[in-house]
Amino acid sequence: MKVSLFITCLSDALYPRVGEAMVRLLAKYGVALELPSVQTCCGQPAFNSGYWKEARESASTIIAAFEDADFVISPSGSCTFMIHHYPKLFEDDPVMLEKALQLQAKAYEFTQFLVQVLGVTDVGAQFPHKVTYHPSCHGSRLLGVKEEPLLLMERVDGLELVPLPFANDCCGFGGTFAVKMSDISGAMVTEKSDHVLETEAEVLVGLDMACLMNIAGNLRYRDKPVRVMHLAELLYEGVKGA
Amino acid sequence: MSATGTQAGGATVKERAELALNNDFLRKAVKFTTERLRAGKENAAADHGNWDDWRERGRQIRLHTIAHLDYYLNLFADNARANGVHVHFADTAAEAVKISLDIAKHAQAKTVVKSKSMVTEELHLNHALEEIGVEAIETDLGEYIIQLAGETPSHIIIPAIHKNRYQIAELLSADAGETLAPDTQVLAGFVRRKLREKFLEADIGMTGCNFAIAETGSMVLFENEGNARMVTTVPKTQITLMGMERIIPSFADLEVMATLLPRSATGQKLTVYMSGITGPRRDADADGPEEMHIVIVDNGRSLQLGDPEFQELLNCIRCGACLNACPVYRHIGGHAYGGTYSGPIGAVLTPALKKNVAEWDDIANASSLCGACYEACPVKIPLHEMLIYLRRRKLEAGRGDKMEALGMKGFAAVMSNAKRYRAVVKLGQLGQKLVVRDGGIRVKLGPLKGWNTYRVTPSLPKASFRQQWKTMEEEIRHGLQDMDPAVKSRMEQIVKDRESGKGGHGHHG
Amino acid sequence: MAKSEEHQSWLAELDAKSRAKQAGFIDGISGKLKRPRVTAPPAHPYRGAPDFWKAFEWPLEERIAKFQANFKAAGGHTERLASMEDARAFIAGKAAELSARYVIRQNQPELNGLGLEDAMPDAAFSVWNSDPQEHWKARAAEADFGIVVADYAAAYTGSVTVLSSKDKGRSVSLLPTVLMVIIPLERLHTRLGEILIDFDRAGREHLPAGIHFISGPSRSADIENDLTIGVHGPGVVYALLVG
Repeated sequence: MKVSLFITCLSDALYPRVGEAMVRLLAKYGVALELPSVQTCCGQPAFNSGYWKEARESASTIIAAFEDADFVISPSGSCTFMIHHYPKLFEDDPVMLEKALQLQAKAYEFTQFLVQVLGVTDVGAQFPHKVTYHPSCHGSRLLGVKEEPLLLMERVDGLELVPLPFANDCCGFGGTFAVKMSDISGAMVTEKSDHVLETEAEVLVGLDMACLMNIAGNLRYRDKPVRVMHLAELLYEGVKGA
Repeated sequence: MSATGTQAGGATVKERAELALNNDFLRKAVKFTTERLRAGKENAAADHGNWDDWRERGRQIRLHTIAHLDYYLNLFADNARANGVHVHFADTAAEAVKISLDIAKHAQAKTVVKSKSMVTEELHLNHALEEIGVEAIETDLGEYIIQLAGETPSHIIIPAIHKNRYQIAELLSADAGETLAPDTQVLAGFVRRKLREKFLEADIGMTGCNFAIAETGSMVLFENEGNARMVTTVPKTQITLMGMERIIPSFADLEVMATLLPRSATGQKLTVYMSGITGPRRDADADGPEEMHIVIVDNGRSLQLGDPEFQELLNCIRCGACLNACPVYRHIGGHAYGGTYSGPIGAVLTPALKKNVAEWDDIANASSLCGACYEACPVKIPLHEMLIYLRRRKLEAGRGDKMEALGMKGFAAVMSNAKRYRAVVKLGQLGQKLVVRDGGIRVKLGPLKGWNTYRVTPSLPKASFRQQWKTMEEEIRHGLQDMDPAVKSRMEQIVKDRESGKGGHGHHG
Repeated sequence: MAKSEEHQSWLAELDAKSRAKQAGFIDGISGKLKRPRVTAPPAHPYRGAPDFWKAFEWPLEERIAKFQANFKAAGGHTERLASMEDARAFIAGKAAELSARYVIRQNQPELNGLGLEDAMPDAAFSVWNSDPQEHWKARAAEADFGIVVADYAAAYTGSVTVLSSKDKGRSVSLLPTVLMVIIPLERLHTRLGEILIDFDRAGREHLPAGIHFISGPSRSADIENDLTIGVHGPGVVYALLVG
């Protein structure tokens, strides 16, 4: 059984601690992740901006990198969902289309894999803090990862989950949107962190480092000491502490 | 008012959005109302139950009708004519205007009372009527207010969403010639009295059309105020302007639309009035129009037919739920979109109706692609994906930004080769030393200018995940637990199911 | 009003133009859909509400309770009355209470023998379209009370349905300040669909010019999303469930 890690650019370059948490947590369940070294980016920045030729180049790299994997796990609902766009990218290429469909069928976001495949909801963690959760749009709305993170957090000892007002609203990241429409994006992220601050939570947790980088960046800009982390990090830290 | 119906100033969405973002009142007003409408919709959908089944049903009915639009539209036209309606076909806005003016001239009309119609906004019909000396009076309360203000609607359902009661009191006081208190009852009371007279003296009543029933030739209107009923009951002549895609096959199908539309628009179980008008008054009747016209308008709609990426746009039932759900709309309001239709549906519909993506420059960029519009849509139109298609088509038309194109080429070169990718990460780790302070980057220069106006950018850690992988891998392999046999067999079953075509997990988007 | 000959010939000219244009307009659609024109009714497997919904029906008492709750939630008033005589007394009482001076009612058999006129001696009473010389829209517009008997009602949405005819003016349920709707209980259904299906069954030739579903008083939330009642249509609506 070959379970491969699709690390994603952000977790590779900026947030290696997220990948590490996933790897070490899954090892507890006998899953030895592999890291195909030829993987790069899912291609979403190019795809969403309309540069499909360029997106196809990225997509081909990813498809090749995971061709022989049985399961592909990533720490991002958004990058996982990008894989669901691959069939559309290759709709005129029957060979690649078939491969794209195969990859789509075996691609899982981290909590999806943990809950749906491993059947784990209680990782035996302890995390005595007030936490609020931002469900990222692509993961929750488009990929449909809604219950999994909540099930996992419910069973963390000491964790107090405070509902985030308007939780389902986009944080304003949107990839190149944050650069091209920086003022609209700025208004959105400011509103999102306002809601986070309203909860008085010590920790903001999520499943997508892009969104979390966005919100964390705004909180830091405003000198607000809210700790921002990926759920994998929280669980792993909680397991170590338990 | 410019030719595109823009009054918010600024040539681009970005500039108009900036104006809106700096208008604190507008932002608050729009936020307040959209939040209420959105909550109302969510409660109504939950209360009704099986919402996704209803959405799917609505989608299927719309898909079916549009896929057979030649049959159903033809049937509708024949039936409406058999009911005594004068049916007209207009390929373009200009043609629809010409037909309407011709009818107004022959009716020797001095005044036209109108109930809310987005199609007439699309045609700029009021302006055209005024040019031939016919007074066009909007009778929906919100429309009346923005007509006095000389503006266009900023929301499909709540046209004056961007105005508060004080601004409205000022407009209506000027209209009344006396000071009216900024009290909703007082203001609405004034409009009721004023428009009562207008209804009774008007020569023509003009409406849009929510749905047109092919099998009976009936047109259906949803409203809360009673003004659409006034307009279709009192004047001698009725003109209805309908988009060619408003068709549904039967009254049975109307039940599904009547379930989806009011709940999605305002959270109501049904609007206060739902009227089915089948032809002009019967000879023996003592009210209703003596003469009834229906103008069927294309104006770019048929361009979506046969286009697999955009045909579903014609399924739209104009409920406004996507506006209320959209985090971008909430911050910038409707006028920033610069067209008749605003919000996510406007961002797609405006360029699609004109097939001139490039001229609408950045309208498709004004979205974070969060998918809230799709989730809110009662007929499941994938607007978030259509926005990407629009961006792609703009590039295909050779109207992309040269610098961005160069950047994307570089992106592809890096991302198609892991070695190059690793080299770039390394370069970043070294290069950032110039700008990193205290583990973060705050400089507002170059590409980071907009981002860092609202945020601190994190610095790259010393070693990337890959750079740490070798050690990590050795450690985990060394202390690896045995896998639970039950889990192992489940994983094997999943792989087997997938190979036999049973498996694979779908997505919601 | 008979239209002038000139007007009629202009309309005939428009219709000829429209028929000529129709063929090309519709063919254009077929062309864009990249197939020959569809001329036979296509199979429509998704017609109407989902199947689970079509079987849904409340027992009478529940229909009454839900109708009342929904109608009230929309800002309307409801009363449950045992007989038409009780309805007459209720309406007369309200007319006296609100000092109604002008009253208009439909020319419906259920109302004709009821003696409403005698029960409201202080009001000027008109019966819709009972005199071809009368300006009926003006009579309805000046009325304080409009009285109609509903053709249908739906509990699930709290709606009444009124159909127009020679004897049933559209104005009577629209122009007066107060609307009184009498609903005989046997006309109260659960779902909208039970009513709508009758219009499909009746077919085009048998439909009235106006079919109106009314679900409470006229309202608007166009000013700051603040609910205002009685914007253009009746601001006070009573649904009287009789039987």
